[in-house]
Amino acid sequence: MKILVCVKRVIDYNVKIRVKSDKTGVEKDNVKMSMNPFDEIAVEEAVKMKENEIAKEIVVVSIGTEACKETIRSGLAMGADRGIHINSDEDLEPLNISKILMKIVENEKPDIVLMGKQAIDDDSNQTGQMLAALSGFSQATFASKVEKVDSFLNVTREIDGGLETLKLSLPCIITTDLRLNEPRYASLPNIMKARQKKIDSIDVSTLGLDLSPRLSVIEVNDPPERKAGIMVKDIDELMEKLTNEAKVI
Amino acid sequence: MDSSVIINKNIVKEFDLTKKLSTYKDILSEFSKISAKIKSNLKSKCIVEDKIDPRLFEQNQFICHGYAWFETYRISLEHTFNWFNDLCISGESSKLEELVLASAFSEYSLQMRDGIMMSQSEIIRPLKNLDLDPSDFNFLNSKETKELINYGLTEEVKFGIVDFLDKGQFPKLGLKDETLEMIQDQFKKFTDDEIIPHAHEWHLKDELIPDETLKQMADLGVFSIAIPEEFGGLGMGKTAMCVVTEELSRGFLAAGSLGTRAEIAGELIRLGGTEDQKKKYLPKIATGEILTTAVFTEPNTGSDLGSLSTRATKSGDDYIINGNKTWITHGARSDLMTVLARTDSNQKGYRGLSMFLVEKPRGNCQNPFPMEGMSGGEIEVLGYRGMKEYEIALDNIKVSKADLLGEKEGQGFKQLMETFESARIQTAARAVGVAQSALELSLQYSKDRSQFGKEIINFSRIASKLAWMAVETTISRQITLFSAREKDNDIRCDIEAGMAKLLAAKVAWSNADSALQIHGGNGYALEYPISRVLCDARILNIFEGAAEIQAQIVIKGLLGK
Repeated sequence: MKILVCVKRVIDYNVKIRVKSDKTGVEKDNVKMSMNPFDEIAVEEAVKMKENEIAKEIVVVSIGTEACKETIRSGLAMGADRGIHINSDEDLEPLNISKILMKIVENEKPDIVLMGKQAIDDDSNQTGQMLAALSGFSQATFASKVEKVDSFLNVTREIDGGLETLKLSLPCIITTDLRLNEPRYASLPNIMKARQKKIDSIDVSTLGLDLSPRLSVIEVNDPPERKAGIMVKDIDELMEKLTNEAKVI
Repeated sequence: MDSSVIINKNIVKEFDLTKKLSTYKDILSEFSKISAKIKSNLKSKCIVEDKIDPRLFEQNQFICHGYAWFETYRISLEHTFNWFNDLCISGESSKLEELVLASAFSEYSLQMRDGIMMSQSEIIRPLKNLDLDPSDFNFLNSKETKELINYGLTEEVKFGIVDFLDKGQFPKLGLKDETLEMIQDQFKKFTDDEIIPHAHEWHLKDELIPDETLKQMADLGVFSIAIPEEFGGLGMGKTAMCVVTEELSRGFLAAGSLGTRAEIAGELIRLGGTEDQKKKYLPKIATGEILTTAVFTEPNTGSDLGSLSTRATKSGDDYIINGNKTWITHGARSDLMTVLARTDSNQKGYRGLSMFLVEKPRGNCQNPFPMEGMSGGEIEVLGYRGMKEYEIALDNIKVSKADLLGEKEGQGFKQLMETFESARIQTAARAVGVAQSALELSLQYSKDRSQFGKEIINFSRIASKLAWMAVETTISRQITLFSAREKDNDIRCDIEAGMAKLLAAKVAWSNADSALQIHGGNGYALEYPISRVLCDARILNIFEGAAEIQAQIVIKGLLGK
């Protein structure tokens, strides 16, 4: 069985985000970047499936600038077998990413596509679902447990009322939630091995896709600064403010 | 913080930067002229017939060591310049690194003229002590240099640096290699998740680092870094070792020091061992199956190893070892001792010394030495906990000739010397990690703590400390990485390695002290991790060559060149 894992290069979760002064986006120059944490969980799940002999090959794909190769490389250091880098300098929206991934799916014919449920930069939570629509694969989002039963995958999802388990036929697309697993640290031997693993580069323009944007960003703003609290003198004043000012009761 | 520093990339600014860099370069070349002058002065004082005269050398120890410090500053500054220059070339530099460089040049240049603190109580004043003339430093008064030096001392530079730190951006490490960056990234994560949350508890309870954590580190490959591939290691070299060591030590000094044990024994066996000894031990050291401990120091023998008195007496094909040893780090939970003992009692000094590989059963806190003929007690210590220190007595320990390193007598000191370069580089990296942890702890505290209506990070005296910690940590990291790269390229770097250890240990202590000061009374409470970092930092100036010995090694190297 072959697993395709889609990973996105995002600003590291430890970095304090700075909005550009012209409000067109956030500052990415000289900022530490790393693999989207949800995608890291997807890589870990794939590696586990390989260790449990469910999967034979893991291919990591990332779309973006040349630097995305580093992100692919860290997936390879966790245990994936090879990488595909789709070179693009554009900021692509989820539908376009899905279209590109669809091309990769057509070429690679994976049995399972794994990716994070969302990326921590734009929080879109769309790519997995859109790719499922384009490919017609069965889909399970927000996976917190994945089990192989015969030729199916049982995927447990965390939903409002509790847990829901879906039985998926293959090929399928699974997007991963936080509690699915804890990604491993890449060990030194595996980091060294990853250097020898192959990453194919494909220029996005050679895919013959219409990737014109359908969304435009009007403005990016910092969250409003927290204001200092005030002291009220008694319960009456508190009630008055809650009722008339905050209008919460 | 309120102010924001915006990276300005217009042409005028870039021109400024080029000009600045060339001025910094001029400063370095002027200092190298001064260095040559001091060196020639000292040579005339200490060298007789092309050799260092021991008596004259000792008479001039203070000024000689002063020159070792001067050179340490000069060479470190040079590599800090190279660090920034390389970042500029690869397009990775930001305003933060430029500010760090400015601050480093101003402070170090002036100290190299007016006085360098060799210790808290000993200042070398180049003008007075090293026979220099005020005119030697005239270049510092030329218009451009003066402007640049003054700029590096401004509040603008200081708060500029702190503004970046406040936003979570630290000076770039400048590793220049994607694999090293990945290693750094993974070990940073490991340290943040698995070491930092527990380190302070291990310290307060004075416990050994748990076996599970040791196992995790072994699985990550910590003990196999320097072991050659043919013996089951990774053969990755010293730069990788530094990166891993700095990260682990940032969490807990003992975590970064576990690797040192494998490093010392691994290097001894790799360089001095027979093929059989290499095959027998190196693969198991690499996997962490064998933990090693260095058994060199004795109650009356510290820096002066030549006076060592533990004996290994020949008895047929065997040797019988007798003697007392002390400061045996990780002495109980270890499986293999590298024991330095005297095989030839007629030979005083270094010549009669030999190195033995002595296996022992692994002990624990309750029963530290479950071996006949071996006994000892724990030495309770201020910091550097997690492995425990012991003094031990070896009473008629019988070993065979096959356990003599290289199966050659009288090579012990030479074999040990060969490992010193590596050990010093690795210890410098440990110190850089401790220095960085002091910076990180006090940075967080200064953001959380409000006094007089604002977070204390906004006060000038707090910001000076934070900014300087970031600057000096960078300087000591760069001389350390430089030595490691030289070593990886098989270039002799004993002098630079000594300088790296000397400077990084001083910086770790100075950072820890400033960081505790930022914590105020809370820093003095055992509850706060900075209290541990202060205790841990203190050992760095003592072990692996005390600061005075390190300066002695550096100056001997310099005058000998």
